[in-house]
Amino acid sequence: MKDPNGTSQLPLPSPFSGKAEVIKLPLRDRPSLALKNKVGKAHSKKPTSLWYAVYFPQLAELSESQQDEQLNVLAAPLENISDTVSFHPQALICEIRSSLKYFGGIEAIHNKLKGPLAEQLKQLALPEYFLYAACPTVTGSLLLARSGHNGLIYQQDNLRSALGKLSTDVLNLNKEQNRRLYNMGIRHLRDIWRLPTSDLYKRFGSDFINLLNRALNLAPEPTRNYVPPPAFSTTYDLPYEIDSLDRLLPVADEMLEQLSEFLQRRDLCTSHLLFSLKHEKRSSTVINMSLRQPSRSSEHLLMLLGTHFSNLTIPAPVIAAKIKVKKFDAFMTHSESLLSEDKSAKKQYSDNNLNQFMEQLKAKLGGHFINSIKTIAEHCPEYATQQMTYEKMEKIGKPYRVGQELKKIPISPRPLFLLEKPEQLVLRNGKLYHRKSIEIISGPERIETYWWSDADIRRDYYVALEQNGSRLWIYRERSGKKNWYLHGYFA
Amino acid sequence: MKPYSESSAKAPEPLFNKAYSHADVGNQDNLADSPSIEELLNHNANLWRGCDMAGQGIHGRSTGYPQLDSILPGRGWPQKGLIEIISPQWGMGELQLLIPLMRSVIEQGHWILWISPPHLLYAPALVQVGISTDQVLVVNLETSCKDALWSMEKALQTNNCGLVLAWQTWLPGKVLRRLQLAAETGKTLGVLFKNRDSKYSQSKMRLQVKGFSPQTGSFNKAEVTIIKARGNFQPLTTQLELYRHHSQHTA
Repeated sequence: MKDPNGTSQLPLPSPFSGKAEVIKLPLRDRPSLALKNKVGKAHSKKPTSLWYAVYFPQLAELSESQQDEQLNVLAAPLENISDTVSFHPQALICEIRSSLKYFGGIEAIHNKLKGPLAEQLKQLALPEYFLYAACPTVTGSLLLARSGHNGLIYQQDNLRSALGKLSTDVLNLNKEQNRRLYNMGIRHLRDIWRLPTSDLYKRFGSDFINLLNRALNLAPEPTRNYVPPPAFSTTYDLPYEIDSLDRLLPVADEMLEQLSEFLQRRDLCTSHLLFSLKHEKRSSTVINMSLRQPSRSSEHLLMLLGTHFSNLTIPAPVIAAKIKVKKFDAFMTHSESLLSEDKSAKKQYSDNNLNQFMEQLKAKLGGHFINSIKTIAEHCPEYATQQMTYEKMEKIGKPYRVGQELKKIPISPRPLFLLEKPEQLVLRNGKLYHRKSIEIISGPERIETYWWSDADIRRDYYVALEQNGSRLWIYRERSGKKNWYLHGYFA
Repeated sequence: MKPYSESSAKAPEPLFNKAYSHADVGNQDNLADSPSIEELLNHNANLWRGCDMAGQGIHGRSTGYPQLDSILPGRGWPQKGLIEIISPQWGMGELQLLIPLMRSVIEQGHWILWISPPHLLYAPALVQVGISTDQVLVVNLETSCKDALWSMEKALQTNNCGLVLAWQTWLPGKVLRRLQLAAETGKTLGVLFKNRDSKYSQSKMRLQVKGFSPQTGSFNKAEVTIIKARGNFQPLTTQLELYRHHSQHTA
């Protein structure tokens, strides 16, 4: 590929892909064509769209963000029957006129939806019921669904009478407006229609009038369509069984190239993907690749995969390979610096490089072998340092931005190497021995802490020099047997 | 002759060509003008002299210890490649030698990778000498030797790691050669710490650090011997005062 970082974006194939030709209509035919249409219209009305609303009253108790999330999940089954699905408070509405014939009537559509929706609701741990209605306007169908009538109105002519029967509760007005309507003696929508519009406008505002107009198809109803979340999964069936993973790399390369193109088209990148190898009569081997930084470069992914392969032993020959993306991220390209000596941009680039290196390290060694270290404000020497494994670092996010600990470091000398478990020293004839005899150079530094717990620490630390030239950090317990211990090396 | 003296004053390269091509080289009148041999040798970039100690350019990174600089070829640590530091026991000051280098590496925004250090790397001590732990990465001691070497090679190859420190026992020449190549490609310095010296080791540079016993020297003192270095004829030894950088930083 020419573009290793995958920074360029490919255009999405437009619905009118291919040739965009200007079709010239013969001019003199046009008036007659329009005339013909007019004549035709008079006889048979052009079918208006039919909106099918699904209303979930049980969602009303949840927070708004939760509602959005759950509606997103519930919208997936609706995708199967219509290409225009829109979101409304606690409801989903889709256009079904165009697919009525295909599915064989509204009953068939409803039956087709019932199962999957119930299943989704079950997965979300919500009560398994929903209200539905269909009519020629979006708002109308929403109102009908809210009323719980499960009604169906095919013709626009019947819309007014059907909606008129509904109680004013379906309008979801606020308390004050409801009270006013009630005091005016209005119980049903048809009562509202009897009132003059201009006065209603004065008393209830434009939103209220708009809502009613939209329900009757007197005002346009713009809707925002649901866009399903991106999903990528591709499988490659190998023509013959492959024993060695090296020979699988070209196949993986091909698949990752596909993925990279998919991501570039949508301006996305991925930070978590699964690469599974299928075997005959065995469960498949799954390689879990989570990235430190989202990427879409097929070269980088291939290199990581290669590293994973080198660690992997497969139980049986591979018959198929599959890539599935678990997590998509928005693509963020690094900005080029205006001036060549702009440090931050350079650093970002090097961070980028480092992340790739660390991902590779993790792929080879496993996350728990790579550590970053940091200081902790703590008196007890062994607790003043902390090793953080790679996995932990990832969870915290930005681990290596600590900063303030500089203030908390002790003034007295600390060794670069600390023994994980202090080693007891031998005291013979008043002289200390490790490998050779030890002479104390400076000290003591008294450290007493944790007296409030069982692990009472009371020590006197000394800097010492061994006969062979080793610089040691030793301590003597101030309680119990008063033993001497070696705790570190001034390496 | 005019053309000859001109070229000699300017640059060494054309001089070299002229020496063979020009017929007048041996002309007696010319000798008074000609530069001394020493000058010619020093200014000729095409000429490599076996002994770097002759002062042929300072191309190393200063170690921060003047005495050590003076006995190292290139007046400092090499920019890239592999160094072996041998200390019979840990705690001889083997890491102290590298502290100024580590600090400059961190300042440049590079990372330091520690591969299987024998003991716990103690963060407060690093902060004390002015090394930020933000750019320090440790590969555990439990890592298998093969994986450790693999990560060392990869780290040497990447540009982000300014310094790779590894604790290993004897390594075969083939492995050392590979690490050396990796270090050259990544322009990184790798340091191998060992307990024992082997004269068959193929590293470019071998150093030995020794501390003094309480009777013969003070706590701060250490003796560094350059056993082998490309550019040095014979082992050179010097005595250093360690922990100076320590006090500098805290003060």
